[in-house]
Amino acid sequence: MKSRNWLLFSVIICLCFSLVGCGGNKEKQVKKELVYASTKDIRDINPHMYGGEMAAQAMVFEPLVYDSKDGIKPGLAESWEVSADGLVYTFHIRKGVKFTDGEVLNAEAIKKNIDLVVANKARHAWLDMTNQIDHGQVVDEYTYKLFLKKPYYPTLQELALSRPFRMISPKCFKDGDTKNGVTGYAGTGPYILTEHKDKQYAIFTANKDYWGDKAKIETIKWQVMPDQQTILLALKKGEIDLLFGADGDMIDLDSFNGLKKEGKYAAILSEPIASRAILLNAHQPITSDRKVREAFQYVVNKEGIADGVLNGTETVADTLLSPTVPYCNVALEKRKYDPEKAKQLLDDAGWKMQQDGYRYKDGKKMTVTIYFNSNNAQERTISEYMQSDMKAVGVDLQIVGEEKQAFLDRQKTGEFDLQYSLSWGTPYDPQSYISSWRIPAHGDYQAQLGIEKKKWLDDTIGNILVEFDKDKRQAMYNEILTYIHNECVYLPLTYSRTKAVYSPVVKGVGFNLSQYEIPFEKMYFEQ
Amino acid sequence: MFVRNICKHPFLEIVDKVKEDYMRDYIIYRLIGMTPILLGISFLAFVLITLSPSDPAEVALRVNEITPTPEAIALTREQLGLDKPFFTRYIDWLVASLHGDFGNSYVNNKPVFHEIITAIPATLYLAAVALLFTVIVSVTAGVLCAIYEGSIGDKVTRGLVFLGTAMPSFWVGLLLIWLFSVKLDLFPTSGMQGFSSVILPAVTLALTYISTYTRLIRNNMIENKQENYVLYAKVRGLKESTINKHIFKNSVQSSLTALGMSIPKLIAGTVIVENIFAWPGIGRLCVAAIFNRDFPIIQAYVLMMAVLFVVCNFLVDIFSALLDPRIRQGE
Repeated sequence: MKSRNWLLFSVIICLCFSLVGCGGNKEKQVKKELVYASTKDIRDINPHMYGGEMAAQAMVFEPLVYDSKDGIKPGLAESWEVSADGLVYTFHIRKGVKFTDGEVLNAEAIKKNIDLVVANKARHAWLDMTNQIDHGQVVDEYTYKLFLKKPYYPTLQELALSRPFRMISPKCFKDGDTKNGVTGYAGTGPYILTEHKDKQYAIFTANKDYWGDKAKIETIKWQVMPDQQTILLALKKGEIDLLFGADGDMIDLDSFNGLKKEGKYAAILSEPIASRAILLNAHQPITSDRKVREAFQYVVNKEGIADGVLNGTETVADTLLSPTVPYCNVALEKRKYDPEKAKQLLDDAGWKMQQDGYRYKDGKKMTVTIYFNSNNAQERTISEYMQSDMKAVGVDLQIVGEEKQAFLDRQKTGEFDLQYSLSWGTPYDPQSYISSWRIPAHGDYQAQLGIEKKKWLDDTIGNILVEFDKDKRQAMYNEILTYIHNECVYLPLTYSRTKAVYSPVVKGVGFNLSQYEIPFEKMYFEQ
Repeated sequence: MFVRNICKHPFLEIVDKVKEDYMRDYIIYRLIGMTPILLGISFLAFVLITLSPSDPAEVALRVNEITPTPEAIALTREQLGLDKPFFTRYIDWLVASLHGDFGNSYVNNKPVFHEIITAIPATLYLAAVALLFTVIVSVTAGVLCAIYEGSIGDKVTRGLVFLGTAMPSFWVGLLLIWLFSVKLDLFPTSGMQGFSSVILPAVTLALTYISTYTRLIRNNMIENKQENYVLYAKVRGLKESTINKHIFKNSVQSSLTALGMSIPKLIAGTVIVENIFAWPGIGRLCVAAIFNRDFPIIQAYVLMMAVLFVVCNFLVDIFSALLDPRIRQGE
């Protein structure tokens, strides 16, 4: 009797599970949909604003021109001319292109879009381009002229960015504007946003009337999964086909390597895209001494970090910006791992080794603190690695992980000795990145405050951006990159790469110039 | 008050009237008592956010990836009313909150009320299924354990219950996904699509409560077994099943009170489960708001949860008073 009841109880429980489970089985169909998992929802993909996911914005909305490894390529503009003084850009708009709501794409639509971005320039302060545009002009139905105040050299690059200079149908403007939201998302891009369930998923359908190479995968499902572990489990189950991301956002390195080893998935890395460096704050007591900052350059075993911590997924950085970045192929002294030299430099700077294994100067211990975003497991491990390197030469490195907002607040106030710094990567490097050094809310600005020629540096950056002569521009880049390298405000660690893990049936997975975009339109299924 | 005899002695009717009056007074007394608590909580919810080291104006700019220049910060302060004195802001917020206006989210600029209202059904759905699981499993297991006290089944169940209490839900959730979704392919890993997708999150959420209530019901029943009425029933030669029915009825009352209080806990407890299972409820809304420092949503969430706890507590007390004459009569 007893055991019968227990048996019954267990059977009922099991039945409950299995009965309900039946609903979960779906028949396998011919694959037409690619499921991409993201920890974030696409949110509001208004192309002129920053509230949405860039990858989604770039799927739907297009720029006048595209930036690529081989230079600027035609987008909505078939061709363009630049005046000799670099002040007037004439764009010949592609004929026969329509927004997905049926509205014709012409010079008028382009003008309306660009005018709105410029009118709202307070929101685009990070992008110097918005300050440089004087006005736009519709010459005829398919010719648009852009007049600049100064010969701003990265004009085409910045018009090509994922936002804000992308075109949305004027029918979608809310009260003639986009800054307070839009009424729809009609673009000209390879995909159309056909369904969006807030915080759950978004469905993109291939644009059948796309002017260029049409997307091969019919639908893309952008599945929101806030937990990374769940994403990995869903990948194992085959519920999702693609993980894509930069800097540990979607996939941490351990999982990346684990998945790669399993061999069931394809796992690829992009070319080096952005710079991972440590800011050495020249505006703090200990690190204000250039000798100390220079010593730190020799203390850290970058190879150990690249191979040991990052499992060889990133390459060692000798200079802040990789020589492959435009204008950054500058001959600079390479500082290799050399603890003896570091010790010598620290001795010279007056920091003498004491019995307890740490250095002191005027009775003060050499203690510096590095701050990082506590959500980033990678940065914690790198910090710990650096801690032991620093200890070996008598420097006490304290490690403080902070919540993202607190970390950003600290950047703004400049209250740090050492802090992580990640450049934005191509196509923002170098111009947008160095341009941001001039903004006080950035850690770069704060850390550079202590160097002698900070004002000159900021002025020169301002001049570079409007120097139309390429050689002169290069000479100026040489100057500032050399100066910043010699001042040792940055301790370059590695060049980061974008990662993609995907089911082997997906083909054509690659990377765009920007780590924030995902080239879905080039992917296809092997069937 | 509820079960009246058709024919009653006038004196008994007076007693009933007194009881009714007492009940009414009790409710009024409790309602008045709630007001300062709610006010206090609303103040705390407001002041805690204000004490946070981040400047709300700057946060509001940064979540939209706008560079926080001094001019932009000043403009945002004005737009958000942050330039007003602290108490003015608090009173404004409180008055607006009473009208259901919690301001707009910093992140997407949508009204907070709308954000919460759209997220609530998913959470309620999850909590309701979890509650159902809890009741079915814990009552069955608790009763069986009590009836067969000391048997192997009892020991095994108690062991499982112990494990269930000890395991953190984020871990259980992942284990369940791994086993039932990846290995056995019975359920989807996450998301809200059809009834099958609610099972794993609801089980994860219910597990802690199942453990608690199984033990509670089991222990109550075992205690009741020692009571004299059980002995008397046995002496009368009643069937064992009839006796067990009586024991169960008597033991379940205190568990009901505890269950009532666990409803707000279930709703508030969805935070972790919703994140693991990508469930679009208020728990996820709250976590996202915390990460983005979306203060209006955090404030509204804290206030709402506090109100939920206070109101549930109140309802449970009233309910107990109705069930138990000793509370009703203020003994």
